[in-house]
Amino acid sequence: MSGTGPLAGDREGDGGDIRAEMRAAAEALGHEPARGTGRMTSDLSIDEELVLHSIGWEPVELVSGVSMHSIPVGVWNWGQGEIGYASAAYARSFANATERIHEQCTKAGGRGVVGVHVEWAVERHHIEVALTGTAVRPVGATGLGTDPVFVSDLSGRDFALLHNAGWAPLGLAAGASFVYAPRRSMGATMKQSGQNVELTNFTEAMYAARESAMERMQTAALDLGGTGVVEVKVTEGPMDFAHHAVGFTAYGTVVRLVAEEHRHPGARMVLPMDDPVVRFDAAALRG
Amino acid sequence: MVVPDEATGDLPEAAARRFASGAFTSGLTVPDFAACLQLGLEPVGFTQGYSVMRWQWYGMSPMGMGGFGAQWGGIRGYSDTWSCPHGMVSAEHRSWGQNYEQAWVEDAWTTGFTTAYGRMVEEAASGGAHGVVGVVDTCQPLSDMGVLEFRVQGTAVRVTDGTPPAAGRPWTTYLAGQRLTKLIEAGYAPVSIAAATSSVRVWANCVTQYLTEGSNSMYGGTTPGAEITQTVTAQMAARQIATQRVRSQLGHDSLHGAALTTTQRELGEGDAEIECILRGNRVRRFKDFDPMPGPRPTVRLL
Repeated sequence: MSGTGPLAGDREGDGGDIRAEMRAAAEALGHEPARGTGRMTSDLSIDEELVLHSIGWEPVELVSGVSMHSIPVGVWNWGQGEIGYASAAYARSFANATERIHEQCTKAGGRGVVGVHVEWAVERHHIEVALTGTAVRPVGATGLGTDPVFVSDLSGRDFALLHNAGWAPLGLAAGASFVYAPRRSMGATMKQSGQNVELTNFTEAMYAARESAMERMQTAALDLGGTGVVEVKVTEGPMDFAHHAVGFTAYGTVVRLVAEEHRHPGARMVLPMDDPVVRFDAAALRG
Repeated sequence: MVVPDEATGDLPEAAARRFASGAFTSGLTVPDFAACLQLGLEPVGFTQGYSVMRWQWYGMSPMGMGGFGAQWGGIRGYSDTWSCPHGMVSAEHRSWGQNYEQAWVEDAWTTGFTTAYGRMVEEAASGGAHGVVGVVDTCQPLSDMGVLEFRVQGTAVRVTDGTPPAAGRPWTTYLAGQRLTKLIEAGYAPVSIAAATSSVRVWANCVTQYLTEGSNSMYGGTTPGAEITQTVTAQMAARQIATQRVRSQLGHDSLHGAALTTTQRELGEGDAEIECILRGNRVRRFKDFDPMPGPRPTVRLL
């Protein structure tokens, strides 16, 4: 197969420019790169990087932060109300991991971190939070900016959309609460045996955990000077090692309007012209 | 067929025959295949490289561990010690702790990966390819005998009317299809895939052991619910070592589309082993960014 084979296609037609660029890219590999042109590391996709450039930002470095806090033995089993050690361990782990990624971003010359992957685990004896993202800055910016460094789990695309609408991310806000679901009395257990009834002890525990966690997240957002939290992710439910405890966690990116007023992005309606896939259901013929 | 000098290694004879057969093979999806043709990349063949390594993480052989454990055999790279706040308590008491880089694990991984990668590139070069796109690498146990298989594969391509690669060594990238097209349009040339690992062993001291097990020290010195500093330090170190190692491969190029994966194996009593793998695309800027129009939001009417 050669450049003149059937797969080479019509070089005069569409795609001629991009082919020339591909050839230029391949030829560039034969030369040493210019000093000071690279050294960037990023986990953003090319789409995200392009969209960041469209608003005048660029990736700088891959950064991360980790924290892990201990949970004393026995706290999951018996008790009433909130499991303070677990809730505090989540809050401190999130705060310390954020502080570390923040520190790495500042060291790398970034003005903020976007696309943060939040990984967390609640284990019987510890809670772990790990954050990984890409530090970004306005193109060519050096040194510290006037605005505080932000950490955000928004993608490059979402960051650009937010930026164009006149908003800015301020940081991550998180809240968690782990609550005992009190054991039922012997009488209640006997009475409910064999019946499909609501287990109010679990429902109430879920509500208690939810309200505390959401309130903590909102308080954290206000402490950062934000007016709201976007892209909130929540998890809820029991832990596999503690069947009489329920947990609720929530985190998201705190945002604030920095423009004088919100700028409507003016979304354009598009109607894709793809043929819809029509599924044939043979069973429907039987009526 | 042009076979570069460096591609006369241990490639099976059948591979050369396969490339010379006239039909191409490819691991590309149909959309990626179409996008590659649009980009002026003609598939040459589906190339693969393998390396099967004996893998013994805790073998006490001095040959395997580069010494009788790090504390006896000498440590290369990161190391950090953690002392006990209690003084001499008992023989069972973990009166000191250490985080250390397991250089022999990293070396073994690097050998397996680079050997498999080298074989894939060699195969591509033997077919006269200019590059390899859509690279996928895996590392998995081959059986339960302590054997690890490294596999690197991708589709070898030739640039239509392009010049042969420098030193006959094809460029490589994890990207293919439209993502590769966007990369080129953005002004980046793919140089190679870049990957590195780090392995850090946590040899817990008493405080780390108590905190990890959730127990309270009868001798004091630990705060219930405190941060497990030794393990956190190891986690951060593992990430930084892998990042630094990839950075050292970049020269003046950049790393794009990186993926950082970290695993922690609990070994009991606070001991742990942390492995971190960072991989991504080494890219080189060959032209300035074209000015991009701002994104225009759309709503799909479906």
